[in-house]
Amino acid sequence: MILENVVEVIVKTVHCRAEDVLPDTELRSLGIDSLKALTVLFELEEAFDIEIPNDLIPSIVTVNDIVVRLEGVQH
Amino acid sequence: MSRRVVITGLGVVSGFGLTTDDFWQGISHGRCAIKPLPQQDNLKISLGATLPEYDENELFSTEELPLLDRFSQLSILAAEQAATDAEFVSDEALQDAAVIIGNAAGSKNTDEEVYKKIHTSKNPRVHPLAIPKGMHSAVASSVSSRLGIHGPVFSVSSACASGAHAIIQGCMMIQQGLVDIALVGGTDAPFPYVLLKAWEAMRVVSDEVCRPFSKDRKGMSLGEGAGILVLESEEHANRRGARIYAELAGYSMSSDAGHITRPDVDSIAKAMRGALQNASVTAEDVDYVNAHGTGTLANDLAETQALHQVFAEHAEDIAVSSTKSMHGHTLGASSAMELVGTVLALHHNIIPPTVNFTEAGEGCDLDYVANEPRQQQVEVAMSNSFAFGGLNAVLVVKSYP
Repeated sequence: MILENVVEVIVKTVHCRAEDVLPDTELRSLGIDSLKALTVLFELEEAFDIEIPNDLIPSIVTVNDIVVRLEGVQH
Repeated sequence: MSRRVVITGLGVVSGFGLTTDDFWQGISHGRCAIKPLPQQDNLKISLGATLPEYDENELFSTEELPLLDRFSQLSILAAEQAATDAEFVSDEALQDAAVIIGNAAGSKNTDEEVYKKIHTSKNPRVHPLAIPKGMHSAVASSVSSRLGIHGPVFSVSSACASGAHAIIQGCMMIQQGLVDIALVGGTDAPFPYVLLKAWEAMRVVSDEVCRPFSKDRKGMSLGEGAGILVLESEEHANRRGARIYAELAGYSMSSDAGHITRPDVDSIAKAMRGALQNASVTAEDVDYVNAHGTGTLANDLAETQALHQVFAEHAEDIAVSSTKSMHGHTLGASSAMELVGTVLALHHNIIPPTVNFTEAGEGCDLDYVANEPRQQQVEVAMSNSFAFGGLNAVLVVKSYP
C-alpha cells in the first residue's frame, strides 16, 4: 500500500513511467537529484500527513528505502 | 571605450497577446487591452490588462514548471521571441551574452500561495522550491537556462523604472566592451489578490479605464506582461548582418531624493535633459516622447511641466503619448514594453496614441496624440519612466541609417 503511494508520488513528481519504479530502483537512476528528492519528500509528507525528519534523508538511496522510512515514521 | 549600441530583437507578451505583433497591432491601432477582471470578494479593483489565458504545460517543460513563477514565465516568453527576432539560431550565438531583467512586484504569485497555505492549512508545509521559484533574480536565471546564456546574468529592481534601469545596465556593458550582446528588459505579473488589495489601498488605481492627461482621469490601470530587447554592439550586429531597428543612443537616471510617491518636476526634467545630452541630440531633434503617463493626477501634470521645462517652445511640436492607456501599467515591465513600442513607432513611422482621452486636464497642454494613431516620420524618440521612490530613468532612441 505504502509502496503504491510512493510510486504514485514519484511518477507524478518526476514524470517517469510507473513500471520503471521498482523497490530496488535507485532514485538517482530515475533522474531524482537532491532538489527533486526534496519535492518527492514534500509530496509524501502531504500525502501521508507526516513529517520526515532531515536525519533520515541521507540514508535514502532506493525506492524501498523511502517505504521503510515511511513505515518507521508512521508507527 | 564607448561603443555604439543598437537594438536588433524585440519580444513582448501583453494584455494583447503572447506575441510582439499582437502588442504592436494593439497599440498602433489604438486598442485597449484593459478589461474586466474575474470578480473577487472585497476587491474594488475591477479592471486590468491581464494576458489571455495560455496553457503553461504547452509552453514549458515539466522540468521547468515547478521553478517558474508567472513573472518568470512571462520573461521567458518575451526573451525567446526577442532572441528569435534577432535571428540567433545557433546554441552558441548567445552563450556569452548578458541577461539583465527588472521586476518591481517580485514573485507575489508564489508568495501568495505560500502564505495562503501557511495561514489556512492544518499542516502548513511549504513547497521546497518556493525559494528558487520566488527569488527576484529567477526572471533572469530562467531566461539564461532556457537560452543557454552563460554571461553576466542578474535582475534589477527599481519599481516602475526596473525595466529601464536593466536596459541601461546592459547598454553600459556593451559600451564598455564587457559583452557584445545583452538581453534586457522587465517583467511583472501583479494580479495576486494581496497585491491588488495593496494597490487598492493606495487609491491610485482607476475604477474605470486609464485616461492619461485627461481632465477626468482617475488613476492608473494595472497590467501584466514582459518586454525584452536584444541590444548589440553596432560592430557585432553589422558583422553578422543583423536587422537593426534603432540605435539606443542615450540614457540618464536621477533620483528625487524626496517624497516617496510624489514626482519632482525638476528631478524628472534633469533625467530627460541628461538623456538628450548623453544621446548627443538637441531638444529640437526629438519627434516623439513615449510618456510615463500613468493617468494619475500627480504624474501627468508633473510630466507635462517637466516636458515644458526641457523642451521649451519645442514642447508643443512634440507628439507625446501614453501607451499605458492601452497595455496598462505593467510596473517593472512597463518601461521595457514601452521602449519596444517606441522603437516600433520609429521603425514603422506610426505613433501609438493615448486612448480613452476625453478633454485635456488642467495644465496638460501638449499634443497627446489623442485616441487615433498618427503616421509621422520619427527619427528621434524618448521613453520616460518615473518610479515610486523617485527613481527616474529616461531612454533615447534614434533611427539607424
